[in-house]
Formats: sequence, C-alpha cells, structure tokens
Amino acid sequence: MHLILSMWFYILGLVFMFESFLISNGLLKRYKTLNISKVQYLAIVIDSEEALQTLKVLNLLRWLAAIGLKSVCLYDKEGVLKRSKQAITERLKSEKRFKEISRSDPLHDEKGMILEFISSSDGKEAVARAANFLLEKCYSSEIKEKPNFTESDMADALRAIGYQSSDPDLMLVYGPSRCHLGFPAWRIRYTEIMHMGSLKYMKFGFLIKAIYNFTMVHQNYGT
Amino acid sequence: MSSLQLHQSLAPLLYKPNFLSHLPYPTLRFRSLPVASFSKNGISMSQSHENGVVRNGAQEEYSDSLPEGLLRELMPTHVAVIMDGNRRWARMRGLPIWSGYEAGVRALRRIVELCCKWGIKVLTVFAFSSDNWFRPKVETDFLMGLFERGLRDELENFSKAGIRISVIGGSTKFPKPLQVLITDAMEVTKNNSRLHLIVAVNYSGQNDIVQACQSIALKVKDGVVKLEDINEFLIERELETNCTDFPCPDLLIRTSGELRISNFLLWQLAFTELYFEHSHWPDFGDDEFLEALRSFQQRQRRYGGHDS
Repeated sequence: MHLILSMWFYILGLVFMFESFLISNGLLKRYKTLNISKVQYLAIVIDSEEALQTLKVLNLLRWLAAIGLKSVCLYDKEGVLKRSKQAITERLKSEKRFKEISRSDPLHDEKGMILEFISSSDGKEAVARAANFLLEKCYSSEIKEKPNFTESDMADALRAIGYQSSDPDLMLVYGPSRCHLGFPAWRIRYTEIMHMGSLKYMKFGFLIKAIYNFTMVHQNYGT
Repeated sequence: MSSLQLHQSLAPLLYKPNFLSHLPYPTLRFRSLPVASFSKNGISMSQSHENGVVRNGAQEEYSDSLPEGLLRELMPTHVAVIMDGNRRWARMRGLPIWSGYEAGVRALRRIVELCCKWGIKVLTVFAFSSDNWFRPKVETDFLMGLFERGLRDELENFSKAGIRISVIGGSTKFPKPLQVLITDAMEVTKNNSRLHLIVAVNYSGQNDIVQACQSIALKVKDGVVKLEDINEFLIERELETNCTDFPCPDLLIRTSGELRISNFLLWQLAFTELYFEHSHWPDFGDDEFLEALRSFQQRQRRYGGHDS
C-alpha cells in the first residue's frame, strides 16, 4: 500500500511535468491563445526565504513579460524583493521591457511591463498610517462632529499617503504556505489566489495554465 | 494498528515530493473507520450536555476522539468557512434555490457537530456578504427568514452542547425580530466554551477594518488612546473578531471551487492556510472536512518567517 501511494504521486508528478512541457511548447491548442487582457494587474507573492533566489525571480518576470502581462506587483513579507529591487530592475531595464513604479508615480499604461515592489509595511502598517491620517484630518478640522468613516474614506486616505495601486485580479503564491503572507488586505477583496508551489520548481507551463484557468473564471461579486 | 490505518496516518508526511507541494492531498480517498459513530441528523434534542461531553443514548462522544490520520497537536484552533455553492447545488438538481440554502443549513449543522467532536475551538462561517444585498429581494428575504428560523430552532441545542454564538457584520439592516433574536442568542450562550460559532452576516472585510478605525477614533476623542499610538495591533483589537481569543483563522475552507476570499476577514487571513474545495457547500460533509483537515496538517506553516 505504501508503494502504491508512492507510485501514485510520482506518476502524478510525471503527468504534470509532461503537461507543462506540452503547454510550454505550444502543443496544447487551448493554451496557445490567452485572453491576457483579463489580467489587468497580477500579484506575485513569494515566501521571503525563496525570494532570495533572485535569478529565479528574474526568470519569472521574463516569462510574465513574454506572456504579455503589463502590470505586476511583487510581494514578500520581509522586504527581500524590495532590497533586491535595484539588482532586479537594473538587469531588466537593460532588456528595455520594464519600468519600475514607485509610490509617487501614478500607475499608467506605457510600453513594457510596470513593476511594483511591496512588503508587509505596505499592508497592515499602511492601513494604520491611513487611519492616523484620517483621524488627524478629522480632529484638526473645524467641524467637531462624531467621525463617521466609510470605505471610500479609507481608500482616499491610502491614496493620500501614497498607496494608490490597483487591486490585483490574480495572485500567484510561490512558497510552501498556501496563504497570501500578509499581502495588503485592502487590495484583495475579489482577487483570485492560486498556489504555485515552490519557486525552485516553477515551470513556464504551470504559469500559463494558472493564467489560462483564471481567464476562464466568471465572478458574480456576491450578486 | 492495521497496515491500512498505519499507512493513512503516515501517508501525508511521507510520500509527497516537494515539487508537488502545491497539489492537493491525493484524490485516492480512503474512507476512515470512525472512532465513534456520528449523528447524521444534527445535534438532536435527545442529547444532553454534561461537562463538555455530549451524550447520545448509550454512546458518549468525546472531543478527543479523532478519525485516523488526524493528529491532535496539529488540529487548527480556528476554522473559517465560506459556504459557497448552495444555489448551484440546487440548480444542478433541478431544485429551486431555496432547497439549496436549506441543504446548506443542514451541512452547517453537521460541520458544527464535527467541530465540537474534534476539539476545534472557533468556527467562523460566512453566511451573508454585504454584497449579497444586490440579490433579488425575494431571495434576501428568504435568507433572513432562514437565518431567523435556524437560530431559533437551534438555540436550545447550541446552549446544551456548550456552543457560544456570536454574529458579526452590520445587523441594522435586519428585520427587528431577528435583531432581538441575535442579541438574545449571544447573551444566552456567552458563557459557553466548547465551541465558539461566529456567524458573519452582512459582513464586509473592508468595512470591518473601517469600523475598527471608527472605534479607535472614538477612543481618541475620549482621550483613551493617543493619535501617535495607533498601529496595526490596535486596529486588530478593534476588529469584529475581537469577540474571540483566537481572531485569526488557522484554516479557511471555501467550497465550490472558487479561489478567492470575497471580502471575508481580509485583515485576519494574512497567514491563514487557504483550502479551496471543489464540492458545493451542501455536499461538504464528513469526508470533505476530514480531507481539508488532513491537508492542513501536512502543510508547513511559517507565518511568513523562516523554518525553525
């Protein structure tokens, strides 16, 4: 029985590898044309330990550019990717297909992929700073009414302190944990989340399949 | 222990290679031999509650009787569930959507029972989103009625079974009798400790964060908190899940194959293991819950940090 289950997993692994090979080489018809316009903004969440594999991250970004994605947000909790930002962007800028986004730049459509680098300080800490901003604004005004905040107020406050990026349509998580590792909570109400496994074993075919599966999803947003 | 049972208990730890870590637990399902038989009709009125042990006739069901393959020390403390797929379940069977919702209530009753049996301390269920108000009025009215009926019918059973009930989300849009019932239910069960059942109705994760900021604003106004003291920990304490000592779920289960959290516990789910199940909610039963828990137990939780 032990042997049967062990063999089952390895056969499954071989099947997935073979499928990835077929997809990567354009041999499976349905994956040949992706409706990439459905992915306006992609989030890549990477476990901080795995984010140290800069070459892997670079390859992933090249694949995403090859697929035609325009806006990508890179996140890891500890800020490893932020610290590697210069190394990554310098390498990629030389390929003239990437533009870095900083918090002060509005997100706009230009030639090449737009990259955003964030960490946990852009998540819960940012909401705390936005709350502080709201309260300062509230108590410094001449109107001394009881505060009555709305979701719009919070969204405006986040924009005012420099967090004005879009909500990702799709999030791909690389690492051992199947969670979003503290990605800014405010931005992921309706984000599709897919766990991709370890960055070490990433495959172009798996990436295509994940994006294809997303393009086939229909959301009704609760209605 | 038989060879099969030994294999089932060890299989999740031994056989999955790392490059398949993102795949779900094997689709070869082994039906576990139950340690104690389960009541299939929910928590019946014939059960009595005594010191955290539910007695059903001659058979005692203790919270430490776990099915094979589950380890006590790896059980999640707090499980959250997005109960999706009631309408699709009904449509697939050619039934009216009301049947789907009623079947969903039965499934919820069963999961509550299993949580009590298996020692899970907190169960949070997403019963109705603030976005769901955009559904036809006849449907939302039915759901409010179903919620009221369900709460009224089960309140005594929950009390006897040691279940504490909390309701989070804005209740001001509910019919007045339902608001009164919710208040009573929370009051009557507030000292129960076997399982804390948190029902999210008219809930929005973004609004939860906003109302936390609102609470903090009032504390600043009253001088209880200083502006410069506002941080993420203060916000977390003011979220609606502050009704429990374990506000952040260890495991989130969403049924019907949808891969998103749909504005549910946005803040609290940062390091929650996400389990997306293909079956629709009314079909989510013992085997499906067991598989979700087994999958959870084989995962490597690092809370975003390094391996210890």
